[in-house]
Amino acid sequence: MQPVVHFRNVNKSYGSSLAVDNLDLAIEPGQFVTLLGPSGCGKSTTLRMLGGFETPTSGEIFLDGQEISRLPPNKRNVNIVFQDYALFPHLNVRRNVAFGLELKGMASDAIHKRTMELLSLVKLTDFAERMPGQLSGGQRQRVALMRALAPNPNVLLLDEPLSALDAKLRQQMQIELKSIQKTTGKTFIFVTHDQEEALTMSDVVVVMNAGRIEQMGDPHTLYAKPRSRFVANFIGETNFIEGRLKAIDGGLAAIEWNGSVVHANLNGQSPAIDSTVAAAIRPEAISVLSQKPANTIAVSGRITQRIFKGDHTSLTVSLENGQSVVAQLDPVALSAVTGDDVWLTWRENDAVVLAD
Amino acid sequence: MRSYFSDFPKTALQASYWLFVIYLLLPLALMMAISFKDANFVAFPIDKWTLKWYAQVLQDKQFLEACAYSIFIALMTTLFATIIGVWIALLISAEGIMARSVIFALACLPAVVPGLINAISMRIFIRVLDIPTGTGAIILGHTVHAVPFVVIMVLTRLRSMPNNLVDAARDLGADSFVAFMRVTLPYLTPALAGGMVFCVLTSIDDFVRTFFLGGYQTTLPMLIFAKVQGGMSPEINAMATLVLIVTAAIGLYAEHFTRRSRT
Amino acid sequence: MMVDSSMTETAKVSPRAGPSYAGWIGKLVASPLYAATIGLIANSRMARLVLLLAIPLVWIVTLHIGPIYQMARISIMDNYPPAPGGVVYTLDNYRLFFQEPLYFMPFLRSIIFAVCVTATTLIVVYPVAYYVAKVVKPENRTRALLLLLTPFWAGELIRTFSVIMFLANRGAVNVFLREVGLIDRPIILLYNYFSLSFGVIYLISLFMLLPLYSAIEKIPTLLVDAAADLGAGPWARFRRVILPLSKDGIISGCSLVYLTSIGVFAAPLLLGGPNSTIFPEIIASLFHGSSDKWPEGAAFSILMLAVSLSTVGLFMRVVGGRSVKLM
Repeated sequence: MQPVVHFRNVNKSYGSSLAVDNLDLAIEPGQFVTLLGPSGCGKSTTLRMLGGFETPTSGEIFLDGQEISRLPPNKRNVNIVFQDYALFPHLNVRRNVAFGLELKGMASDAIHKRTMELLSLVKLTDFAERMPGQLSGGQRQRVALMRALAPNPNVLLLDEPLSALDAKLRQQMQIELKSIQKTTGKTFIFVTHDQEEALTMSDVVVVMNAGRIEQMGDPHTLYAKPRSRFVANFIGETNFIEGRLKAIDGGLAAIEWNGSVVHANLNGQSPAIDSTVAAAIRPEAISVLSQKPANTIAVSGRITQRIFKGDHTSLTVSLENGQSVVAQLDPVALSAVTGDDVWLTWRENDAVVLAD
Repeated sequence: MRSYFSDFPKTALQASYWLFVIYLLLPLALMMAISFKDANFVAFPIDKWTLKWYAQVLQDKQFLEACAYSIFIALMTTLFATIIGVWIALLISAEGIMARSVIFALACLPAVVPGLINAISMRIFIRVLDIPTGTGAIILGHTVHAVPFVVIMVLTRLRSMPNNLVDAARDLGADSFVAFMRVTLPYLTPALAGGMVFCVLTSIDDFVRTFFLGGYQTTLPMLIFAKVQGGMSPEINAMATLVLIVTAAIGLYAEHFTRRSRT
Repeated sequence: MMVDSSMTETAKVSPRAGPSYAGWIGKLVASPLYAATIGLIANSRMARLVLLLAIPLVWIVTLHIGPIYQMARISIMDNYPPAPGGVVYTLDNYRLFFQEPLYFMPFLRSIIFAVCVTATTLIVVYPVAYYVAKVVKPENRTRALLLLLTPFWAGELIRTFSVIMFLANRGAVNVFLREVGLIDRPIILLYNYFSLSFGVIYLISLFMLLPLYSAIEKIPTLLVDAAADLGAGPWARFRRVILPLSKDGIISGCSLVYLTSIGVFAAPLLLGGPNSTIFPEIIASLFHGSSDKWPEGAAFSILMLAVSLSTVGLFMRVVGGRSVKLM
């Protein structure tokens, strides 16, 4: 299938600093794609280049196979939901949504019909004649969304649109956004720095750092099989296992660590024997036992801190080598832990070897 | 400016700006140039240059007296207008004042009424009250005209004042007078400075009120008016240039001062 | 700040007990006279309220409303000062205005003149204000604005005078045109409507510039981006977003310019000619001529005030429409 959006070797620099570094990205139609990364990673610049508000320094951007890198925003069939909504304060809700349609020269009955359809999609028909200043944050958000969807763009861009909402409303809007994307079948490109938001809504998450793509994949793969230290760290909490690679056995790496040899999934990496490698393991994948298990490899340590977090408890375990490991235990598992001297163990494939 | 804005409007806008700057500056610049012309009549081109007109103006007793008189009126106007303007602004911003918007509208009335009507109504007013025309009447007229501007400037500043500042001072034991002197007044300083400079400059510049309210003594604008009507000589240019430089310097300094204290 | 021990003790009993202050305020507050006068007022709610209210209200009523009230009163007198027989109230002064074209026509001319000046100023100044507010880089904005403001620190008469010399028969424009060879005898630029408009716009364009500038500057660039994103080209962005959002600036700029240009006095005296007599000159002549025609003058002033203010009111109603609430 032809990608709906294709960035080919796109660079964007401001003076001497490189905001986007040789970006190569193809997005399939109908997907909910999230660009995730810390501020300054180039995700917003990428979005703005697609919207037409920035021009790439070099490289090309294709929309539906057409080169659009240098077209002004009003000549591109993409629409954007801005971070602060950017609703026109002098127009009521209906006129805001109709703005793009009016510019297309649509007949006024048709405009009215489509506007009202869109507003009913987000249950705002009763607010059609209100001014934006009279709406709540969530309502403004919905109006901005419908205004951007109204001209029927090939791709809808969303630039951290939920960041101004409070936590509860944000969760509600995440679900709503996802369902609107499903109903309309449009390609959504969503920019955020909030990993939880990215995991909740996306079909594909593109993790960006320093202007480059670190990793791209579905949320589950990204979480379970991070390719780099950055991704592992940025998405969720992680423990790092660093040690000498003793052997490679099938898909597993044997790493010398804390006086024992532990195993981790190679995850497509091929490090050299005897080199230092790092692997990541999620806190919830670690089992904490009071007795040394009989048949599996385990590492011994001592609990130095317990933090109660409601549905789980987070234990910090100090190892003999001076490093410490964080493990998350549910109440049942926690009740089995007696005393502070413990053994840590995990399923071999839950630890993954990182590229760096 | 965004890169997608096409170049044509940008160039056109830039051109309109520079043409307007030329429109504003050229007549004044040429007027200043003629003040250096060594001839007895005002006309272009300038072939011989001289400073004699300046020497003449600086020895002109009439001019110097008019300057002193205008400055005196301006300072008195500023004093009264500032006190009354601050007072009215405090009233308008006070808590629990009824009909706030009516008081504000009435306080601004003299600024909205066209200048000529304002001057005429004052002329009628002082005649009804049997106040003679002359210095007192001019100061009164100028003050009435200047008060609304002080009120607006002070109110704007007061609105940006965190409302717990005075409360904090009161909480620390200051009575309302001390709180006003130590907290409110210092906070208002930039607005007051701007307002005072505005009062001085509008008073020195005022022609229409002085025309109707003035007595025998000539103010600076009256003098220039008489000279312009009486016939042109580069002496007027020299006079105008001197006045212009002084007022523009005051204005620019005030602008600089208020801008700096704002940041 | 010096606080002695006895002071801290009283402070414990009552937190409001007077602390001491440095400087002249401290001396003032400490003096017994203060407690008897300012202190009394400052610590009494009632006294404070009276003081706060009294002076401003007296001032506003006497000097802001008083003169206009007196003008209105005299405008319906048959003679001022009243004849020995007593005051006779009449509407003759107003009737005279409508019956006498000598008064009525200049009045109409004044209104039309002010409307034209206002419209011209708006059209000329808008792109300039837009340029400074949105095109000039923020760090250069102050400089760009100051270049426009500086000429306005020169007084009204000085600027009028410079316009005279600019447009005179042997003034800059004519000399330049002759040197270039475009004309061989001077074009008459002075003492007509052209010089009058040129001069009045020269005097008052600042009143248009500042409100427009601050209104345009406040328009978030994001909204212009949003309009572009939704398919608006440069013209549509201007007409559908920038223009409506600068409406407040347009209203206050136009009102200020209109009210000022309708009441200009020095400029028509110096720049206008016999064929461009506008109303202010007529009103002034009624007060300054040998014959005392104050009641007529007052009536005409009231008419002019009423018409000019109601024009502005109407304009605000028509252009302003429903008030815009910015987010």
